[in-house]
Amino acid sequence: MTARILVVDDDTALAEMIGIVLRTEGFEPTFCADGGQAVDAWRRDKPDLVLLDLMLPGKDGIQICTEIRQESGVPVIMLTARSDTTDVVNGLEAGADDYMVKPFNPKELVARIRTRLRTGTENAAADSMRVGDLTIDVAAHEVTRAGGAIGLTPLEFELLVALASKPNQVFSREMLLEQVWGYHYKADTRLVNVHVQRLRAKVELDPDDPKIVTTVRGVGYRAGAVTP
Amino acid sequence: MPQTTPTTTRQTTARRRGPLRWSGIVARMWRRSLRFRTTLIAVITTVVAITIACVWMAAQIQSDLFESRTAQVQADAARAVQLAQEDLNSGQSATERSEADGLVKLAYDTLREQSRTSSVAYFRIDTAPSQIAPLDGGTSDLQNLISEGLRDRVSASDQQWWQSVELPREDDTPAPGIVVGQQLNVPGVGAYAVFFGYDLSDSNETLSFVQRTLWIAGVLLVLIVGLITWLVLRSVADPIIEVAETSRRIADGDLQVRIRVEGEDELAALGTSFNRMADSIEQQIRELAELSLVQQRFVSDVSHELRTPLTTIRLAAEMINDRRDDLDPATARAAELLHTQVARFGELLGDLLEISRYDAGSVQLEYEPTQLAAITEDVVDSMRQLAEQHETELRVVTPGGHNLVEMDPRRVRRVLRNLVGNAIEHGEGRPITVTVDSDERAVAVGVRDEGIGLSEEDSQHVFDRFWRADPSRKRSIGGSGLGLSIAFGDAALHGGRLEVWSQLGRGTNFVLTLPRTRAGALSTTGPVALEAADETGEETA
Repeated sequence: MTARILVVDDDTALAEMIGIVLRTEGFEPTFCADGGQAVDAWRRDKPDLVLLDLMLPGKDGIQICTEIRQESGVPVIMLTARSDTTDVVNGLEAGADDYMVKPFNPKELVARIRTRLRTGTENAAADSMRVGDLTIDVAAHEVTRAGGAIGLTPLEFELLVALASKPNQVFSREMLLEQVWGYHYKADTRLVNVHVQRLRAKVELDPDDPKIVTTVRGVGYRAGAVTP
Repeated sequence: MPQTTPTTTRQTTARRRGPLRWSGIVARMWRRSLRFRTTLIAVITTVVAITIACVWMAAQIQSDLFESRTAQVQADAARAVQLAQEDLNSGQSATERSEADGLVKLAYDTLREQSRTSSVAYFRIDTAPSQIAPLDGGTSDLQNLISEGLRDRVSASDQQWWQSVELPREDDTPAPGIVVGQQLNVPGVGAYAVFFGYDLSDSNETLSFVQRTLWIAGVLLVLIVGLITWLVLRSVADPIIEVAETSRRIADGDLQVRIRVEGEDELAALGTSFNRMADSIEQQIRELAELSLVQQRFVSDVSHELRTPLTTIRLAAEMINDRRDDLDPATARAAELLHTQVARFGELLGDLLEISRYDAGSVQLEYEPTQLAAITEDVVDSMRQLAEQHETELRVVTPGGHNLVEMDPRRVRRVLRNLVGNAIEHGEGRPITVTVDSDERAVAVGVRDEGIGLSEEDSQHVFDRFWRADPSRKRSIGGSGLGLSIAFGDAALHGGRLEVWSQLGRGTNFVLTLPRTRAGALSTTGPVALEAADETGEETA
């Protein structure tokens, strides 16, 4: 199956070049150069992944990301020229799964896209597992609490499964970066922090007193104990 | 000199503390307080002036009093003598002893009545023997007080003479007095010298009363002058103190403070001018800050704007480079060059952006407990391949630096990569020694090469942006020319320092010293010495 990728970037040369790279790697790119039309383009094309530039005419990338997240958990990778500003954190908090700082190289781009497109649960220990008062159905990509389903993005689901599959292990941020995001070198730990916050907001009964994803001070995170 | 024991020293200081402390306080207030100093000067000058005035006035009053009293005494005496003489002249001359006694007695009574003093004495002047002349007489106390000189003078002429004397009193303290002498002619008997003793102690009492009053008035005046000066100075000094305080705060960076201006006097003018100056300074600083901000933002924006086209170029270059096997050799080489130079361009852009962040002061360190020795070994290992290409041996010596120290490992790694890369490039293939050590205050790493080194002048510029020791020198590793500037900035951000020692022909040593704690201060000498010993022996080994 050929994955479709929506490239939202107002720089047509860069968009075209990304398109060339993606086609070479066997993806099917579609394009949108205007922020105002990006959400419509996304609804129309139903891509498997969105590459989203942060600075766009019409509507900025963070707004677009927020609107997409309200409807879908489709993987979103931000493209940004600034890694030092609050833009990155804002983008991640708006729901972007990952980000790439320009100028990136094509291999890195393709590696990031492939990581986000894989199902990510091939190495899960069981079809079904429990964490706290949640039940995770790995095959169906579904998380339920007392029979009610909780909508998670694929990334959040993968993060939860990674933690839940080894309930006794404390995961450092670097371990999670490697396992969930596919980074094999020290990358930005803000990725982990922001997504743990987003995950907690969805799965915790009280996000200020987390029971599902607990913090181990100075080390990282671990899954909470199973409760009946 | 023998050393004093601590106990005796302490005792000495304790004993000295009292007077020392007071004189110390006064000296400090003299130096620091305009008001104290001015008041003290006013009081001291007033004291001097009033003392002089009082002494002069007292002397003046004393002599005035004495003169007027003397004049009065002389007039009294003269009048008494005149009356007595008139009495004597109106009677008969004495021919007998009893008549003479009667005349003298009469004259003596008149003199006592009219002279306003009970102390009267008389002596016969004629030395010729006389049968009828009465003997000397009068108050015996007075007789003893009359000096020979005065007696001679009075005897010699019929003028009035006087002399100051000390009158004996019962309590042995002599009272000031005056003796006045004049001739009195007793008809038929001859001339007598008559003396009157006057006690001046009452005028002396008046004098001491006046003097006492003067001194009390003087002391009061000094106190009043001191108080007035203090109060007047408060109205002058308070605004000045406020100006001083305000300028101190402005100097400390609080540009918003201003002086309260009240009234329209000179002090208000000072306040107004000061405020205007502060406004102008604030304005200038704000403009400069804005200008600098605009410039920084411009650099930052340019760097960011360049990133999008650079991304496109990089993607394209990489793609072409990946397929260079399909191209003819020249085009393949061109593709390769394009690829490496685009990478270098990206690096340069990144460094430029990093520098602009330092300029904007927007760099935030991400502290983590880190072993300097461990990350140094990491970095050196990652550079071994490059070192092998340059046939350079990399040695790591880590006698210290194994403890966890708070630092931003990402930045420290970058500094180390930079230093080791530099050493490899300029090391002429001779061994490079990387030393990590620590002491109680700091951790440090030194990167020492034995290459061509730098002249003293050049080594002062190594941290300058885009500076190159020799523009014509071949560069094999590349680099933006900003690496050492960034490294220097990173060291400074950590509260540490990056130093260089270099000598032509002996090589170069870069030493990065970081404090153990975030706010820790560094001593002048770090754990790793900057000036390395000459290792020519090792070179040949």
